[in-house]
Amino acid sequence: MKPHPASRDVVIAAVALIVVLAIPLFHRSPAFEDFIIRLSAMALFATSLNLPVGNTGMVSFGHGMFYGLGAYAFALMMQMTDLSLPVAAVLAVSITTLASFCVGAICVRLSTDYFAFITLAFQMLFYSVVISWQSLTGGDQGLRGGIPRREIFGFELSSQLHLYQFCSVVAVLGLLALRHVSTSPLGQTLRMIRDNEDRASFLGVVLWRARLLAFTIAGAFAGLGGVLAALFVSGAYPELADWPNSGQAIFAVMLGGINSFLGPALGAAILLALNDAVTRFTEYYGLVLGIVILAFAVGFRRGVLDFLRLAWPRSSK
Amino acid sequence: MSGLITRRTMLAGGTASLLAAPWVARAQAKTLHIGMQSILSGPIALLGTSSRNALMMEQDRINAAGGFLGRPIEFVFRDSKGQPQEAARLTRELVNTTGCELLIDAEASSGSFAVQEVVRDLGVACIHSNSETSSLTADPKIRVPTAFRVARQGVHDAVAGSIYLSEYANTKKLNKWATCSPDYAYGRDTTAQYLQFFKQFKPDIEITTEAWPKLGQPDFTEVITKLIQAKPQALFTLLYAGDLSAFVNQGNIYALFGQMAVATPNVDYPVLAAIKNLPPGIQSATRYLETFPNTPANKEWGEAYFKRWNERPTNWSWQNTVAMQFYESAIKKANSLDGKAIAAALTGMKINTPFGVDGTITMRDDHTTINYAIGWGQTTPKEPFIIDVKAADWGKIIELETDWKKQQKYI
Repeated sequence: MKPHPASRDVVIAAVALIVVLAIPLFHRSPAFEDFIIRLSAMALFATSLNLPVGNTGMVSFGHGMFYGLGAYAFALMMQMTDLSLPVAAVLAVSITTLASFCVGAICVRLSTDYFAFITLAFQMLFYSVVISWQSLTGGDQGLRGGIPRREIFGFELSSQLHLYQFCSVVAVLGLLALRHVSTSPLGQTLRMIRDNEDRASFLGVVLWRARLLAFTIAGAFAGLGGVLAALFVSGAYPELADWPNSGQAIFAVMLGGINSFLGPALGAAILLALNDAVTRFTEYYGLVLGIVILAFAVGFRRGVLDFLRLAWPRSSK
Repeated sequence: MSGLITRRTMLAGGTASLLAAPWVARAQAKTLHIGMQSILSGPIALLGTSSRNALMMEQDRINAAGGFLGRPIEFVFRDSKGQPQEAARLTRELVNTTGCELLIDAEASSGSFAVQEVVRDLGVACIHSNSETSSLTADPKIRVPTAFRVARQGVHDAVAGSIYLSEYANTKKLNKWATCSPDYAYGRDTTAQYLQFFKQFKPDIEITTEAWPKLGQPDFTEVITKLIQAKPQALFTLLYAGDLSAFVNQGNIYALFGQMAVATPNVDYPVLAAIKNLPPGIQSATRYLETFPNTPANKEWGEAYFKRWNERPTNWSWQNTVAMQFYESAIKKANSLDGKAIAAALTGMKINTPFGVDGTITMRDDHTTINYAIGWGQTTPKEPFIIDVKAADWGKIIELETDWKKQQKYI
């Protein structure tokens, strides 16, 4: 008897989490722990983007706005209030959710090209506000002074190990929630809209409502990624909300595989590993990255995970 | 079969080697690695590479003298691309992965604030060698016990420049001024700081117009015509590097420099090299000049740099050189590489260096340097490019800096 897909996902997530949490018990590697912390943020960011891009067919160029907003909202609350860390994180994600709902309400009725442009326009607007509102955001110098990382249930997040454990748990739970959305009836509906929106509409699906829901959920999880990024750099910087950051997420999605749930997370891991490896040997990081992406695009003609799934299809199919 | 190496054995051996490699490498290496991160790609990579060049010269000099505590030093250079979050990551990587025991943070200001927070967590010794934003060390909330700054500083520049320019304006009877500075935090904050001190020394000045070109703007036509139409008697600009040379080259076409006096703290050798016809009589600070301080040691260092790299140094070059001179003295004094021990040795330390106004530079208790050479003079198209240089009065700089710190509630 086959296990229920949701139960199977929970088991896989639990095993993955146990493995990740167990590694430092056997071998402490600060470099590896840093990588996982960054990957947690980037994986949530890229996987959340794949909800509108891969599942719904809406290419958003402005997703970095929600990543940056999550980081700024969280960092500002930690600096300006005495809120506990989890409360500040939940509030930051709530603010990001509200923002993505408002932006989505304006954007999702537009056709694909205009949707892409207007999401980019919103991101540029947000970025300009961050740069201009110096008294609040620190302008182009970013939010200075560090984030007070108050203890939560005995966890001191200025300790690298605790931050590693915290980020791993949040990322796995976040990815599990996104997986649940993706496999739920809403996820099926989104894919139907992507494949044939006229047919979905004839079947009674209110297109803008489903798209808005997808866009809002994606924004919320990008905000959660931003919270983790803010914890890692102990601050918030305008680059987190700038358009090249959205481009990084799109690269991660394309590199890892648009049609595989874990594709964007894998893409994020490849991008981060490439960045870490290449910047040690050359200053021409962009050139190397371009060549690698070109090689993937020309060689595989799809993302890595999509390619592997096509090359080795499951025997049950 | 025992004589055969199976695939499984190979894999196990390979994995073991990979896991053991860092320990083997650490056990074998006595070399002291020093992490350096800066902007080594993009439009202002010139400044980052001029920092790296200076540090490579220092590496050779220090190793020839026996290294630090008997260990040869070796820099590990990393490019942050000018991105603060990448700067934070690199700091962690340099310490956690590469095993660097000391840090030179040669980032511009935005990157330095990110590095500062990571250093707070790691507790390693770090010298910020290029950030000019005063609050990095002046604000006690931002200051970090093991992080120091060896660089020019915004508030020092503003006081020195304002004193010089107010005397110049009084002599030439220049009351109507315009400003033209890059449209981001450095441009706006530092212009405001200059004007605040300038008005303190010359209350009758009037600002006729302010222009805020974007950083890296290729075409200054609109800015130049705006300035000409406002008819100021003098212009103060904080444009720098490629922006300043582009502005001067384009301003020459409109004969801008014949219509108003011009003052800037930012003329340095790379800008001079990029300007086709340097107008004489621009009032400028000396960011780095071989002839100021006019000492054999300063000239010798400038010539050695030119001989090795076939280009002239920038102010980022001398600042990184002084950073290493401070490390050298502090490590000798502390006889340790521990962050806290080095910090204790650095605090209040005075070293002999060619770049001090009187041959010395002091690391003050608030983790920033004073007494470095700041001078103002006027440009001339031929070498030495800036003449009639007047040294700033450090007594006055410190007095007004203290007032400014009180205003900011830092002290």
